[in-house]
Amino acid sequence: MQINEHKQGDVTIVTIDDHLDTASAPQFEERLLGLVDAGALKILIDGAALAYVNSAGLKVFLMVAKKLEPLGGRMVISSLQPSVFMIFEMIGFTRIMKIVPTRDEALRELGAPPTATS
Amino acid sequence: MHEGSITIHVAADVREIERLNQLVRRFGELHEVPSRTLYAVNLALDELVTNAVLYGFDDPQGRQITVRIAAAAGELVASVTDEGKHFNPLDAKVPDLAAPLAERDMGGLGIHLVRSLMDHVGYSRDDDKNVLTIRKHFR
Repeated sequence: MQINEHKQGDVTIVTIDDHLDTASAPQFEERLLGLVDAGALKILIDGAALAYVNSAGLKVFLMVAKKLEPLGGRMVISSLQPSVFMIFEMIGFTRIMKIVPTRDEALRELGAPPTATS
Repeated sequence: MHEGSITIHVAADVREIERLNQLVRRFGELHEVPSRTLYAVNLALDELVTNAVLYGFDDPQGRQITVRIAAAAGELVASVTDEGKHFNPLDAKVPDLAAPLAERDMGGLGIHLVRSLMDHVGYSRDDDKNVLTIRKHFR
């Protein structure tokens, strides 16, 4: 699993790829909670390259969303592959998290201008 | 679909799960199991092996977990066996999927996925071993 991040305006865009599982979830957790601790309030997680997630990975999404809410922050997830989206739906996260089909929609949700090139 | 079965021994270490998933995928492809079925069974096995590694042993070092998978008559049947202490993950609290974000609990997510993805999930304690059995039908 690789995690990359960059800023676009006040939005922190995080991309993850491959497998988010029990072995890699601690790294993802540390990185994301670190961003929140450093003051990031608008986090966009682009899951286009994420092929697989298990409950350990799902818990990190829940942790981050729960941590951001009382701070007035927001996490938006975009571009999930159908098999991964199905897992988010199954666990009820589509009710409590904003999940949109594209990165541009996620940027709009977070009040940032869409990317010039997509 | 071709009939067949495989037994895989993995060390009680979460880093082994990706290797397990690769072996299961190869077995599934060889036996012409639909990829959706394979994905679901792999995720269920991941959750069950993770549970066994994290909660089944006081010290997982040097311990093993055995995974058996059989394909027959439109069904994949798999079992996860460990010699750890008595632990039935099916006793886990069912997560409240309707709870608002602030009240959503971290517990029970894995086993909820297993129950949702599989057609059958069972637990037994045999010969001081925990045995979890899952079944998934396919056409």
